[in-house]
Amino acid sequence: MTAALAEKHTGPAPQPVRNSPPPPARRGRGRERAFDDVPRWQIYVPLGIYLVFTLIPFYWMFLFAVRPAGSTSLVPWPMTGEHFSKVWNERSFAVFFQNSMIVGVATLFATTLVALAGGYALARFDFRIKNGFMLALLCSQFIPGALMLVPLFEIFKNLQMINSLGSVIIAETVFQLPLSIILISGFIKNVPMTLEEAAWVDGCSRFRAFCAVVLPLLRPGLIAVGSFAFVHSWNHFLFALMFLSEQDKQTIPVGLNTLIGADSVDLGALAAGGVIAAVPVVIVFAFIQKWLITGFSAGAVKG
Amino acid sequence: MNISKTYRGRTAAAVSLTAVLALTATACGDDGSGSGNEGSGKGEITFWDNNGGPRTAVWTEIIKEFEKKNPGIEVKYVPIPIADVQSKYDTAIAGGGLPDVGGVGTAYLSNIVSQEALEPVQDRIKSSGLNGKLVESMADSVKVAGGRGEDMYTVPTSANNGTLWYRTDLFKAANLEAPTTWAKFYEAAEKLTDARNNKFGYTIRGGAGSIAQAIDASYGQSGITEFWKGDKTTLNDPKNVAALEKYAGLFKRTTPSADVNNDFTKMVAQWDTGSIGMLSHNLGSYQDHLKALGPDKFAGIPNPLSDGGRRVQVSNPVDGLGLFRASKNKTAAWKFIEFAASHESNSKWNESAGAIPANTEAAKDPWIAASEPTALGARSLTDGSTTIVQLPYYLPDWNNISKADNEPEFQKLLLGKVTAKQFLDKIADELNAAQKEWKELGNG
Repeated sequence: MTAALAEKHTGPAPQPVRNSPPPPARRGRGRERAFDDVPRWQIYVPLGIYLVFTLIPFYWMFLFAVRPAGSTSLVPWPMTGEHFSKVWNERSFAVFFQNSMIVGVATLFATTLVALAGGYALARFDFRIKNGFMLALLCSQFIPGALMLVPLFEIFKNLQMINSLGSVIIAETVFQLPLSIILISGFIKNVPMTLEEAAWVDGCSRFRAFCAVVLPLLRPGLIAVGSFAFVHSWNHFLFALMFLSEQDKQTIPVGLNTLIGADSVDLGALAAGGVIAAVPVVIVFAFIQKWLITGFSAGAVKG
Repeated sequence: MNISKTYRGRTAAAVSLTAVLALTATACGDDGSGSGNEGSGKGEITFWDNNGGPRTAVWTEIIKEFEKKNPGIEVKYVPIPIADVQSKYDTAIAGGGLPDVGGVGTAYLSNIVSQEALEPVQDRIKSSGLNGKLVESMADSVKVAGGRGEDMYTVPTSANNGTLWYRTDLFKAANLEAPTTWAKFYEAAEKLTDARNNKFGYTIRGGAGSIAQAIDASYGQSGITEFWKGDKTTLNDPKNVAALEKYAGLFKRTTPSADVNNDFTKMVAQWDTGSIGMLSHNLGSYQDHLKALGPDKFAGIPNPLSDGGRRVQVSNPVDGLGLFRASKNKTAAWKFIEFAASHESNSKWNESAGAIPANTEAAKDPWIAASEPTALGARSLTDGSTTIVQLPYYLPDWNNISKADNEPEFQKLLLGKVTAKQFLDKIADELNAAQKEWKELGNG
């Protein structure tokens, strides 16, 4: 019944067409014609230069990670795994990686769930302080996390959550939420209300109509918000440094910083740590690239 | 579709939530200045390593030995990245959660002392096995940096020394003498530079940490031995201005142009992997050079002699262990400090770090003689050949003045946008004002 409802109301409804961009085929042909007029080198040379600037630091990191200590070779040969072995086993990166993964995944789910609820409220309900609330959400983006450190520290201490990954997950989620709520509400606004109303007429509750009709249409937005939350919490350093004071609770960014000493730095280990830290982010982006771009552009433009 | 609601219930809920959060946020906390207590001498203590990571292995070993010799005491080791240790302490002082024992360098000691977070330890030292066994100059540095007269707020464990590292293979090929004087240093910087072939005589520190190095080069050449003359700093003395002008003039002429952004990591990496003749850093990078270049291609000597034949250098931060006032188990915490600063542990730690031990017995151990740069550094600090100009680490504003406020100014100096005189005058004015303010608060 629910599937039939979803099919019925998410089919070729007339409203989505109103806000849709021009049909892709025509736009694609126009683009092709435009590119045909441009000499190839004018496209590839700037792209090539941009790629060189973007990829050289990654190559450098990879080079330092795999070449033996003391080598000055500019090519990654002969290769060694000594730096990876060192950071993974001796410098506890196995533990840091696991902690970062827990924080990242938990933040992803928490942010997405709460942003869905908040975004739905903003998109579907009118209430007196709605504009003020939106403004407050936007303004909260201008507050640096460092300013909130001491109050957050006190709160977590009183909740006995210092040295718990939960404190970092909550703090990360709270800081991700404003932007996520705004983005999700933009997506929900783009789903015609008539689809939900049709589900209600067919006997669905509001929650069931949301799950059966609206949620499937929000996939690009959910992926965008979720991946953004994951990547941000994966890379974030400050909260993990301040709220976690036990070695077996620390995360990858803190671990990376401990590879830089007061007067010395093990570049091979640092580069290997950097590669380990970059891998999940690269994988996430490789798989969700298409959704991410669609998600952000749709949520941003039509919000 | 508009859905209207009544707001009374929600407003009440929002007010209640805000009140709960506000109460939670302002609940009485342990702000780090609590007096703590001596405790039972048993149980768990927490130790924050202020250079977490590079020294984790040696600390783990020391802690294991300590726990073996002191059954009933357990040390929880927490490595803190060096770049963020000060903000970690500041947050813990403001919000609570300080350790029992922490590594504290003189560069930020006064900041922690001024927040009443550390306990003076001179009386404990007197009645312990460490009495009379701490290198005097390091103990003095700790006293000066604390800014509270004879009170000592850390037990010194190690010191570093400014070192001029040079490539012996390149010097030999160019038929140059070791850069033991500033004149030889400048000569070598010129002769070893072949910019077209990406070879340079020197690498200058233009990014983070540049100010202390620039001040070191200025006093080293001018031979001025006091940082203060009355209430005014000697930093902008005409001799220092001339010295800095000459030193900054090396930029781009005998150094890579990218040096303008060099912090120590880039500078050391560049020297270890390239064809640069000399590098000013400290003993701490010895192991990095050894790994990258092997033992035969480089050497390290204390800073060059001035024209007057005297070696003058600015004080390097002294690292130490502090006992936190809020500790609930000071007896056990002190036992750990005493053990870590003892002959055996201090020697082991400093050998691993390539630094100069603060324990006088450890300073005589054979490994020091085997490591030439460390031996020379240790000797220069103790044989009277070197005058140390004490930098005012005790000023609460020192870190701002020597880092955030003026590192961009040094970059302007390198790029020729300000003169050496303008640069030093600006810092001198700020230091004079900070010193005046510090004295007005009843210090000094």
